[in-house]
Amino acid sequence: MLGALLYLRLTSLKNLLLSRLRRLKQPKYLVGAIVGAAYFYFVFFRSIGGSTGPHFAPPRGLPVAALPSFDLPAVLGVFGASAILVILLFTWALPAEKPGLAFTEAEVAFLFPAPISRRKLIHFRLLGAQLRILISAVFFTFFSRGANFLGGGVLTHVLGWWLILTTLNLHFTGAALTITKLIDRGVSAWRRRFVLLGAVTLVVIVSAVSLWRNAPPFPAGNFGPGTFATWLAQVIDAGLLHWLLIPGKIIVAPFLAPDFVAFLRAAAPAVTLLVAHYLWVARQEVSFEEASMAYAEKRAARTARLRSGGAIGSAPAKARREPFRLRSRGRPELAFLWKNLLGTRPYFHWRVWTGAALVITVGVPWIVRHDPSGAFAAVISGFAAIFAAYALMLGPQLARQDLRSDLPNSDILKTYPLAGWQVLLGETLTPIVILTGLLWLALLAAALALGPRAATIAWLTPGFRVTAGLCIAATVPVLCALQLIIPNAAALLFPAWFQATRQRGGGIDVMGQRLIFVFGQLLVILLALCPAVIGAGLVIFASQWLIGASAAVILATFLALVVLSAEVWCGLWWLGERFEKLDLATELRP
Amino acid sequence: MIEVSALIKRYGDFTAVRDLSFTVQPGEVLGLVGPNGAGKTSTLRSLAGIIPATAGTIQIGGVNLATDPVAAKRQLAFFPDEPRLFDYLTVRQHLNFVARIYGVANHEAIAQPLLEELEIAEKADQLPGELSRGMKQKLAIACGLLHSPRVMFFDEPLTGLDPLGIRRMKDSILRRARDGAAIVLSSHLLHLLEEVCSHVLILKKGEKIAHGTVAEISAQFAQGETGVSLEEIFIRATGGTEN
Repeated sequence: MLGALLYLRLTSLKNLLLSRLRRLKQPKYLVGAIVGAAYFYFVFFRSIGGSTGPHFAPPRGLPVAALPSFDLPAVLGVFGASAILVILLFTWALPAEKPGLAFTEAEVAFLFPAPISRRKLIHFRLLGAQLRILISAVFFTFFSRGANFLGGGVLTHVLGWWLILTTLNLHFTGAALTITKLIDRGVSAWRRRFVLLGAVTLVVIVSAVSLWRNAPPFPAGNFGPGTFATWLAQVIDAGLLHWLLIPGKIIVAPFLAPDFVAFLRAAAPAVTLLVAHYLWVARQEVSFEEASMAYAEKRAARTARLRSGGAIGSAPAKARREPFRLRSRGRPELAFLWKNLLGTRPYFHWRVWTGAALVITVGVPWIVRHDPSGAFAAVISGFAAIFAAYALMLGPQLARQDLRSDLPNSDILKTYPLAGWQVLLGETLTPIVILTGLLWLALLAAALALGPRAATIAWLTPGFRVTAGLCIAATVPVLCALQLIIPNAAALLFPAWFQATRQRGGGIDVMGQRLIFVFGQLLVILLALCPAVIGAGLVIFASQWLIGASAAVILATFLALVVLSAEVWCGLWWLGERFEKLDLATELRP
Repeated sequence: MIEVSALIKRYGDFTAVRDLSFTVQPGEVLGLVGPNGAGKTSTLRSLAGIIPATAGTIQIGGVNLATDPVAAKRQLAFFPDEPRLFDYLTVRQHLNFVARIYGVANHEAIAQPLLEELEIAEKADQLPGELSRGMKQKLAIACGLLHSPRVMFFDEPLTGLDPLGIRRMKDSILRRARDGAAIVLSSHLLHLLEEVCSHVLILKKGEKIAHGTVAEISAQFAQGETGVSLEEIFIRATGGTEN
């Protein structure tokens, strides 16, 4: 029977790989694969070709002298084991219902009614997880090998990650089965949590007593991060916790081994632990079917939400209070704003914005007044500038409550008595409002933080500062609109590409496609900004001598707004025409 | 009310609908039938303005769909086979949204009886995710009917409905037709056509094979026999194959 299950797994894998290879015949996937592969090569592979011996080159920004002064693998072992302990604690504490095992709906439909024993189903589940674990181990190695101060080689890192992930996966499976068994026997979730809480409390008390009696001295003088990390590891790895951390240390030890011989030495206890976990899981006889079916349904619903425009990991929608009262009459575009605001987070509400603006208006000047050194002002303005830059550049990729979310509903949208540009305008209003609000708050914070320093510069008069600030604020909505037109254009012009990039686990080609979209957006926005920026610059240069700096900035802003608005309008109109002609069913035909 | 003249719909080299012409008067219900791939959905989607026709003209209430799509769409409603709803709008909020899009003044006065008629009034504050398949279908219907369309297009209207829902849907279609609406529906369920449609248009490979009242179509393909079922007539008309 296991042969049939193995056949299902291997055949599915083979067909998946073949379909991925076959779709490379389409230029959109081939180009994506080339870009994705190039990205991997330059970012990860080039850093991998190092030696396999231990070498303690410091990470960026860390002095060499800081590293040999402490036992890095030992410290990392304590931290890794602590992380594992916390994960396992939550694994045992969180499930309120029977957790079940991770089967897909198709697997439930085909395998559960089939003459297959529970034990074989568990093995099928473990076997299925191996593919994901192997890929994850290779992927994590790309990152861990970048931190070459860890030592070890590619092989030890891949095998080390595999041991960690497989043991954890076995533990998760065993915990799920055991919790299911406990619930079947009448042990409620709260009773289980109460016992765990009691155990944690006991561990904390015993550890605290142990530390009180024999606490490691806190490092004195100017100590580096290594010294502090060593002290922290000593604090954690004491008393009862020391014993509880031993399994975790055993699991991570092969990964932290500096060479292959050390890896083999560390692998022996780790493999023993893994085998013990396997025996624990394989010998369980638990009725997990019902819970697994519920799990499969939940997972399918999550996938469906993702495909219909929801965010990764998004919870089922909940009914919310309306952002504003929508009247029956008026511009229909506002109905889209109203609708899409209902689909965002509750904190994107005018009351929250107003509150945040008030806090900034009161708080930032207070902080600046009480900080004569100006350090906090620099931090606030720097943070606000970085936040604004990220919001402007990456915001359109994250704030997707526009046509990108509604593309699956395009058939219905097209039956509305609206021109294409009206649908496009209405759909993009919500992310424009959200991004504009965020940028205005960042601008307010930066202006208030920099105010006192700007006051010391002669030509930055209060009048000029207010004028410049208002002019920047005025351009923000148009800039956001311009930024948002591009991803919406991508969704309309290349719907098949766009739909492919919305799916998870699409492979290196889909990752390459995402990269192309990001770089394409950057390129187009730079080109679109050129006329406005050059025009505004020329106006300021030519007119400030005649009409003064403030008036010149207003004139330049007006010109920039006209140019940018014209670009936005042309973009909306053109995309509206495209939307009217769009037939998603045809576009998505393979 | 609906005038279709020489409609052609092509996807690249593939012609889905060929030179199709017909009219549907107020009060008439036209059933669009044909084997899989006959061009029914392409025809319906073209008529509703969802996809542009490659050639030909479509008039909705005297308005050319190609030259003045907004005015034409104001008069129509399209009901897809799978209800397409917004995940985060409640039943009532869906109606608010549609009312604004179509500019339906005082829509609450229309919406409440509509919700009661469709028996989803008590679900008014629930999201689509909390509704059954049939309830979702009813909500989609309520949204379509809110602006009192004079032209309606139904794509497989009975999909996913329970027997009671099917009966109510049939009654609803007939009532709208009696009130003067022009209705086109596509379906594989021939009994629906017998009970609801005044006219039938049989398509095969994008071409019109037959068009007329149910009695006329029956007479055309019965070949003098009596008591021939519509299913038999359909098989005779289409040659019993998709190709």
